[in-house]
Amino acid sequence: MTMFAGTLPTLLAAADGPFIATGSAPQWVALMPGLPLLGAALCVLFACLNVKSKLPGYATVALLAGGFVTALAAFLQGPDGYGVATIFRWIHASIGADADASITANFGFYMDGLSMLWMLFVTGLATVIGLYSTEYVASDKGLGYCRFFFAFNLFVFSMASLVMADNLLLLFLGWEGVGLCSYLLIGYFYKKPEAVAAAKKAFIINRIGDLGLLMAIGATFVVFGTLEFRPLFEMIAQGVDGKGQAIGHTWVVVVIPLLLTAGAFGKSAQLFFYVWLPDAMEGPTPVSALIHAATMVTAGVYLIARMFPLYAADDAMVALTVVAWCGAITAFWAATIEFAQYDIKRIMGYSTISQLGFMFAGLGLLGTTGAVFHVFTHAFFKATLFLCCGAVMHGFGGQLSLRRLSGVMWMKGFGITGVCMFIGCLSLSGVPFTAGFFSKDMILAQAFATPDEMIGGATFIGLLLLLTATMTAYYTFRVFFRVFVGPRHFEPGEDDHGHDDGLGHDAHAHHHHNPTEEEEGDALHTGFHPHAPGWAMNGAMVLLAVGTILVASLYFVNKKEDHGWAGTMVRHSTAAYPSPGLAHGKDKPAATTVEPLPLGAPAPEHGQAGKPHAKAGTFLGQDPFKIMYYVSAVLGLIGILAAAWFHAPKGAWGLGIGNRELPSKVRMDAVAARFGPIPKWAENKWYVDELYHAIIVKPLLVLSHVFHAFDKLVIDGLVDLVGALPRWLGTLLRPSQSGVLHGYATGMVAGSAVLIVLVVLVAMWS
Amino acid sequence: MSLLHLLILTPLTFAVAIALAPASRARTIATIGCLVPIGPMLVALFNFDYSRGDLLQFAANIDWIPQMGLSLGVGVDSVSLLLIALTILLGPICVIGSYSAIQDNHKVFYGWLTGLQAAMVGVFAATDLVGFYISFEFTLLPLYVLINLFGSSNRKRAATKFFLYTFTGSIIALAGLVYVVLHHRGIEGAWTFDIPTLASTAMKMSAGEQALVLLALMLGFAVKVPLFPVHTWLPLAHTEAPTAGSVILAGVLLKLGTYGIYRFVLGFVPEAVIAYAPLIAVLSIVGIIYAGLICWVQKDVKKLVAYSSVSHLGFCVLGLVALNNIGLTGSVLYMINHGLSTGALFLCIGMVYERFHTRSMDELGGLAGTMPIWSSFMVFFVMASVGLPGLNGFVSEFMCIIGTFQSSPAWVLEGRAGAAGGSLGPWFAFAAGFGVIVAAMYLLYMTGRVIWGTPKHPHGHGNGHEDGHGHTPPSDLNTREIGLLSVLAVGCLVLGLYPTPVIEAIEPSVERTLAPYQDLLEARAQALMLTEGEG
Repeated sequence: MTMFAGTLPTLLAAADGPFIATGSAPQWVALMPGLPLLGAALCVLFACLNVKSKLPGYATVALLAGGFVTALAAFLQGPDGYGVATIFRWIHASIGADADASITANFGFYMDGLSMLWMLFVTGLATVIGLYSTEYVASDKGLGYCRFFFAFNLFVFSMASLVMADNLLLLFLGWEGVGLCSYLLIGYFYKKPEAVAAAKKAFIINRIGDLGLLMAIGATFVVFGTLEFRPLFEMIAQGVDGKGQAIGHTWVVVVIPLLLTAGAFGKSAQLFFYVWLPDAMEGPTPVSALIHAATMVTAGVYLIARMFPLYAADDAMVALTVVAWCGAITAFWAATIEFAQYDIKRIMGYSTISQLGFMFAGLGLLGTTGAVFHVFTHAFFKATLFLCCGAVMHGFGGQLSLRRLSGVMWMKGFGITGVCMFIGCLSLSGVPFTAGFFSKDMILAQAFATPDEMIGGATFIGLLLLLTATMTAYYTFRVFFRVFVGPRHFEPGEDDHGHDDGLGHDAHAHHHHNPTEEEEGDALHTGFHPHAPGWAMNGAMVLLAVGTILVASLYFVNKKEDHGWAGTMVRHSTAAYPSPGLAHGKDKPAATTVEPLPLGAPAPEHGQAGKPHAKAGTFLGQDPFKIMYYVSAVLGLIGILAAAWFHAPKGAWGLGIGNRELPSKVRMDAVAARFGPIPKWAENKWYVDELYHAIIVKPLLVLSHVFHAFDKLVIDGLVDLVGALPRWLGTLLRPSQSGVLHGYATGMVAGSAVLIVLVVLVAMWS
Repeated sequence: MSLLHLLILTPLTFAVAIALAPASRARTIATIGCLVPIGPMLVALFNFDYSRGDLLQFAANIDWIPQMGLSLGVGVDSVSLLLIALTILLGPICVIGSYSAIQDNHKVFYGWLTGLQAAMVGVFAATDLVGFYISFEFTLLPLYVLINLFGSSNRKRAATKFFLYTFTGSIIALAGLVYVVLHHRGIEGAWTFDIPTLASTAMKMSAGEQALVLLALMLGFAVKVPLFPVHTWLPLAHTEAPTAGSVILAGVLLKLGTYGIYRFVLGFVPEAVIAYAPLIAVLSIVGIIYAGLICWVQKDVKKLVAYSSVSHLGFCVLGLVALNNIGLTGSVLYMINHGLSTGALFLCIGMVYERFHTRSMDELGGLAGTMPIWSSFMVFFVMASVGLPGLNGFVSEFMCIIGTFQSSPAWVLEGRAGAAGGSLGPWFAFAAGFGVIVAAMYLLYMTGRVIWGTPKHPHGHGNGHEDGHGHTPPSDLNTREIGLLSVLAVGCLVLGLYPTPVIEAIEPSVERTLAPYQDLLEARAQALMLTEGEG
């Protein structure tokens, strides 16, 4: 790695290649992870001091806001502030063979467009959702409150470490850290068995993916001799490994990306791994909004975007094709399940899986800008949707079934919730001029612009995504039409999610322990009054809804040069890539591409800079990036109309075609009945959980029991047998002195003798 | 007399003092006796020249029978020093941690516990085989007594099994060591028991002799580690031992095995190690996963953690046979880290046992609500044990896995940076990596049962205040307990966030251990390359 330092061409803002931040970032960027870490420490202190007010919550919000201001300040510096800021040396171990060779991982931060973009929404949304949480978990004030905000803070610290890490090991620290916080927060209602099980499931399934990531880190280290991003990307940009050998056409560019993908799919709940995310909805809703919708689950997208040069170094694009296909299939698969779900929070959970599928498809289809922009917009509108669902849940005693709620928007105090929900739904459905519309369009268009020769089956993926986009509009408005508009009706849930010390909405299981709970339970069923959101929750929802509207405009910032603000950010990051049909600087002179390589350096063999791109594809003979606006708008409208026809109430809010009069009786029922058992199967999530249980968990459990028995009976049995043998021998030889210890001692000598004879025999044989 | 003699003799003196003093003073004397060595330990830590961590420092020799080459030599390189530091640190934690658990027979308990300290320091400090072996065997006796007299219901059987099993193992190891001594006598014509001298001649043994010695030593040390399949004494001993016994057992005594492998197997017979490394690695990996899965179906919390030691120590041995800097350094670091986090877990379990008189997961549950402080510590140490980055376990586990990954002749053939050969490789690392998943499975399973869930009220009494229905919630940790766990927690955090000084301290010793391997591994890779070329 050292042999290339200094001789590398500066790749600053090369329009067609990855941007490697070579400068140094200011040390104060460390405040972004630092302030939440301080917050976590404060929460521990508050717990020790037995603080019973909302202080931990407000302190958290203040510190997180500080983090957001730091992010803004860093952002305003622009690309000048991009670079590395090293805080302290974390792990440093020599690897021996070469005197200088070492494995180094600092607490160092790598700031470029990608980390900046992520940090903006991570810190921003964390602040707003933190504010919402101060009210949401208010009835838990005391230890539970401290515990919640401790994990909340630690999560933001971990997420910041993940996103800002300047090496793969610190990224892994953040990666596991967010996993831990997710575990702690899903299991926040720890007395509820489902929550505990869901937390465990999330952590373990993530760990399976993490094994892939860990192996990728090992391979990266062996091949490149470093885990630090800057030297790593400098080598990849040159197409060489740590010894200067070309990496194109080797296992390196296929195996490492595939291993990284396993990690990414675990964290981001994609194919084969996704089953943990719907269960994670057991966590408090603000947690679902922040961790399981807006931020943590996008870490997989971040990882692939960050390591994109390695993916793109493969001419055959094997790993990217896998990513694209898996993403698209996940998007569609999750959408089919949503059709038959009735729990509004789970619907949003599956919707997140589906939307993440879009993002991965975008990455796989070489459209990094679209994918990253969709991460950004999705963070806003999905967080909005979750917070609104949370307000409903909070207000109706944990009620989440769309069969038992109707016309919520018209109830006292829920107007703001309804309006915000509406804005979120529009964006998720991809209604024109909303944020979701622009970002999703970029991915959809990319599918048709990317030629099939580059990513096998890109066109088919595009068609699948179009179908999924239509389905998305349908299932989104199915929730809105049923729950938020129509005749006012509600059946309260069995508990109040807020009133809780780890009890969750599972109050019935513990009534006998807590008489006051029982009284409350009676009150719920006799004279229940919906509990409208207060200023903090309303404020947070409004802020996010406004944010959802505003981020749409980012699509027009730097539209000409970079295809939107996200494009500008991506262009200044390692995720920069000349997407087919969207190549940055396609109208620009060649001077903006990579400078010629120094003499003697191996020529780049990969699909990066300098390589002529295959001709971009079209959609019905048109430029996909232009026509997709209309296509997706029409398809989205079809989805919404279908939702209105099947689920909407009579009147204007049913677009004039709805006919629902009761909360639980809709036109869809008759249609669903015609499909026989299929809707039931979909409602049961196609039995994937059961399948996993049958083919993985159960056999493993049986195996474990077998091992346990084997250990006790066979291995330990043999030991006891060997131990008993001499006693038996002793009895045989000298019956008069057959004391237990005597026997053992004889046995030991005899046994040792036998073993030494064996050793000698083995030695002679070898 | 050197600092090291002081570190051995101080606990020994105090042990004798406990034996002579009245029983009512035993506890106090033991506490002082465990705290006093911290002073010389700190002096040693500050005066050690870490840049030459490969040299035996603070060396001193007391001649015993010079004609026979017998002496009682002491001296430490950085690895021994760190393990002694761990021993000295865990001493007061065991003693103070036993205040409430041990109600009577103070004299016996604290006497043997303090004496054990001396023996353990002796093992790590000895530079001479006789001193080493005497200390090594002497560690058995105190623990035998502790388990036999202060353990749970099945303690007699556990103590006997522990003693005989590990004793048999060490006799076999002794056979190997004696062979090395005889071999030296044969070549040089003089007796010596000096370990570095023996190492240099042992390396000259023929491949067959080396294999023989390796098998003997491995049989002995593997029992101690314990390595699959000679591990069955451990779960029993751990489960039955009193808390302090378990802490010492997991914290230090198991490390005698890995230390033995590091010092004697790796140090004496390099050729045989290279030949047998894949076999040892396979046993380690089988142990990692096999024991991990067994953990997953345990009902007794302590047994679960006991089996987890078998699984964890598999990583430790795996790192050793990776035969490269990262693997070995990681492994030594693992010895320290495992001592801290698993020791802490046993301490935590002991605290719960004192309150409820049960360790069954069927009877415990929902302690997060009733004992939030204890639960916070427990989750913390579970995460350290799971290998969460930022805490200590991760760094060493990661280094062992990466060392294994790197340890392949294929990397030499491909000309990878820092490739040193070795016989393992990515597939070994991948297989061992499953241990990381399994660790999460069983530890979170335990956490889910014990800490989360509905609160259960076992028949125990909350520190004696029973209302007749057994419904009084037990009291949470007291200041003494919080203090003990905090010390370990700080250790875990510091070693997780800033392990570099420790890593850098270990490296010189590791480099010296690996020096004889470089040429051998290189020659082996060359040979492989030739075969590859022909094929």
